[in-house]
Amino acid sequence: MTEGSQARRLLESASQLLACGADVDELLEQVADGEADRLTEHQRHCAHCQAAITEFRALWAPVQDYARQPVSVPRRLRAAVLKQVDRLVHDVWYTLQLTELGSIRVAARVVAAVARDTAGRVPGVRVVLGRSTESRIAQLVARATTDHLHPHAAVGVLGRTAVVDLALAVRYGDQVHQVAQEVQRRVIAELKEKIGLQSVTINVTVDDILPEPPG
Amino acid sequence: MGEGGEAGHADGFDEGYLVRQAQEGYLDAYAELVNRHSLLAYRVALRILGHHQDAEDVAQDALVTAWQQLPDFRGESSFSTWLYRIVTRRAVNRINRDRRHTSTDALSESGTEVPDDSTQTDLAFERNETVDAVTDAIQSLPPAQRIVVVLHHLEGLSYADVATVTGSSVPAVRSQLYRARRALGSALAEWR
Repeated sequence: MTEGSQARRLLESASQLLACGADVDELLEQVADGEADRLTEHQRHCAHCQAAITEFRALWAPVQDYARQPVSVPRRLRAAVLKQVDRLVHDVWYTLQLTELGSIRVAARVVAAVARDTAGRVPGVRVVLGRSTESRIAQLVARATTDHLHPHAAVGVLGRTAVVDLALAVRYGDQVHQVAQEVQRRVIAELKEKIGLQSVTINVTVDDILPEPPG
Repeated sequence: MGEGGEAGHADGFDEGYLVRQAQEGYLDAYAELVNRHSLLAYRVALRILGHHQDAEDVAQDALVTAWQQLPDFRGESSFSTWLYRIVTRRAVNRINRDRRHTSTDALSESGTEVPDDSTQTDLAFERNETVDAVTDAIQSLPPAQRIVVVLHHLEGLSYADVATVTGSSVPAVRSQLYRARRALGSALAEWR
């Protein structure tokens, strides 16, 4: 118990300098980073520094031993991960969030409905329709669900990631690109907040410009 | 960045290729990435949490999350740096969750017997006094200090890589390490 008392006194001292002016933290860093043998010119001739380095070397040795301890990965880890990923891939018509209490699944059509509804409330947007998705996730969806692939899916979901394609008609006179960006911003925020998605991509296509409705 | 003890894969596929294939949805490619990096995920979680079962849960969660977030991975860092980031975040979430539970349990079950946790102690390390002492000393550090110690001193990441993983700056990492080394050193001096 007494072996470490000198090191402890150095570390808990109010001053961070040795009598020679050397910084205690820098000496400990030097030892902890495995540089104890690379003494500076000052350290080669300084009894204070050499004593501190010797103390810190003994103090830090258990950490270096610990870092070298072999760690073996649990055998079931890989299988458990791949089982969950497999489940995600085959659940492409639903979002999937795994929580400590269980899983939360939201149908892709709900994601699409929330996206369309939110986009429709953006000033300047007149009509909102889904359109065929051509994204990477849509390709994954296609591969994973060849049995029941929807030919005009407007949304692709994978876990907590979604890609939604929207086609808009914008009110005549509005800045088209500003309206489109506002749609992206609001739909992304809404899907993250309401559905709990982590990553959302909104592809917007402006198909038409429509005049103000009469009245 | 070093792979922190991961085995070499000279005869395997290039990692960038595997990541791109996994991003395209090929499960076989992701399975190979899991093969290569599950040890990293588990080891970092174990070193941060000091508990076998928690580490396994966090590693599993992180590797599933990595799959879900692969579309967002732009390759600006290596896959292992990106995975370090996910694992450390999940581990911090676990620490925070356990703190809340401990606090609630302490309020609701004061006076009741504390369950024996000895069967869940770390089985993945060979048990010895040094491991116990260092594990305890690391566990006594605040989470932010614990993480920089694990990433720099145990995983061998540079200050710059630790800053990337923690979303911090090199000076901030250096400052955390100064404090962490003092605290860790004091705890180990007491043990000796």
